[in-house]
Amino acid sequence: MARFLFVVPPFFGHISPTLSVGASLIANGHEVAWTGLIPLADKHIPEGGRYILPEAELSPHQEEIARILKRQDDGPSLSGPEVMKLALEETYIPFAHIMVPGVLRVADEFQPDVIVNDCITFAGALAAHLKGIPCVTTTPVPPDVMGDTASSAPKIFEWQQNLIKGLQRELGIYTEEFVIHSHEMNIVFTSKEFAGFPEPDPHMKFVGPVKGRPNDTPFDWERLEKATTPKVFVSLGTLLVDIRKEFFLKLIEAFGNEPITIVAATDPSVIDEWPENFIVQGFVPQADIIPKMDAVICHGGFNTVNDTFMNGLPMLITPIAYDHFHTAALIENAGCGIKVRYKRLRVPDVKNAMRELLENPQYRNAAQHIRDTFNAAGGNAKAVSLLEDFAIANRVTETA
Amino acid sequence: MDQLIQDKLSKEEIFETLHQFITEVIGEEFVEEMDITPASSFTKDLEMDSIEIVAFSEKVKNHFGSNIDFTGWLSNMDLDEIIQLKLENIINYIQECQ
Repeated sequence: MARFLFVVPPFFGHISPTLSVGASLIANGHEVAWTGLIPLADKHIPEGGRYILPEAELSPHQEEIARILKRQDDGPSLSGPEVMKLALEETYIPFAHIMVPGVLRVADEFQPDVIVNDCITFAGALAAHLKGIPCVTTTPVPPDVMGDTASSAPKIFEWQQNLIKGLQRELGIYTEEFVIHSHEMNIVFTSKEFAGFPEPDPHMKFVGPVKGRPNDTPFDWERLEKATTPKVFVSLGTLLVDIRKEFFLKLIEAFGNEPITIVAATDPSVIDEWPENFIVQGFVPQADIIPKMDAVICHGGFNTVNDTFMNGLPMLITPIAYDHFHTAALIENAGCGIKVRYKRLRVPDVKNAMRELLENPQYRNAAQHIRDTFNAAGGNAKAVSLLEDFAIANRVTETA
Repeated sequence: MDQLIQDKLSKEEIFETLHQFITEVIGEEFVEEMDITPASSFTKDLEMDSIEIVAFSEKVKNHFGSNIDFTGWLSNMDLDEIIQLKLENIINYIQECQ
């Protein structure tokens, strides 16, 4: 029996895999808590676990937190270098500053054996360092988004280094080594083959995607079963509200009343009249729908990327911002999809790409290979056993 | 002296050539919607991604000479310099390298 404290950011895609792993740890008899920056609805928290919001420490920062969260909406309209600044300088570093005091107090009260920090939630690893608590990092996305800046862009590398060193010094951490992540174990929720890490460092543990939490949202299964044309699932994820209408207008132009069935996960009210061959619903049981599809269109959110390749389906990826471009490059490298950049979305390109994905078996074959690497990586069970072994190996020996 | 002046392209000539390259790289229909001027920002207004920047820089190199190391020049910039990079900076750089 061990106590695990997950330190998570206010972004559900990053929280989600920790909920699956945490639920399994609880089922194995461990004590599990989460801490974060904003409240998390009870329904998400696995039974037997708890979410501890350090309100006293966070309350002086509410305005800043709200401002930073609102700023994320600008992402899709920002250029690549602006997004880099937004992510590290305007989001991750200030979040770490704000969170550390609360995480320290929660750690004092909960007395975790292991702190598990999400990769963009530096406060977890920093608090673990300050308290001498063993730490594991979880990374829900293919790592190394920025690439090798040390040699390709030395000034950007320096900027990165200075920001992180500055953060550490302000917390009284004067080591040259970066302690915003664990150097002991980093659990990555994709496969090393897909992420392009043929020989990862030993502490990097690629376990593949973990299954999402159960989702029993109703869906018009009967209508889907009646469809006889190739079925394509479309999702823009939960963010990116502003560009939805424009995106779906283009898809309607490409596929409206064509011999194809589109299942679109979006609020139907963004379009006045949907074509007959579009099945549209706001919230969908995505993990149950995708196995019935022939292809997927998405911007590169990793939940949908994982669900797609877990089912060996080819993808049309339309990267918009953030790490979408990195994911798109990995997909093209793996041969399991085609990229059409959102900002350069031409209707004929979308049609041609979809025809190619549906008719040329090489994409599906490559996607099925990625599926096999995901399955072989071990998933949820592997993540749980890694954490359990880590807790045992790092247990402070109690002397009577 | 005359020879030297003739060899050096004017800013306008360089701009016209770069405009053509941008059109080839990102596509006519998208360029039509943009009002490209020397003051256009590279990343913000033209919304070039890294693949497009590489394609653009290849064209610059092939046309203006291999001593113009556009990507090398870019890689020595910090984030703010890249964010603020305008077409006219590139025009000046090409003129200097000639």
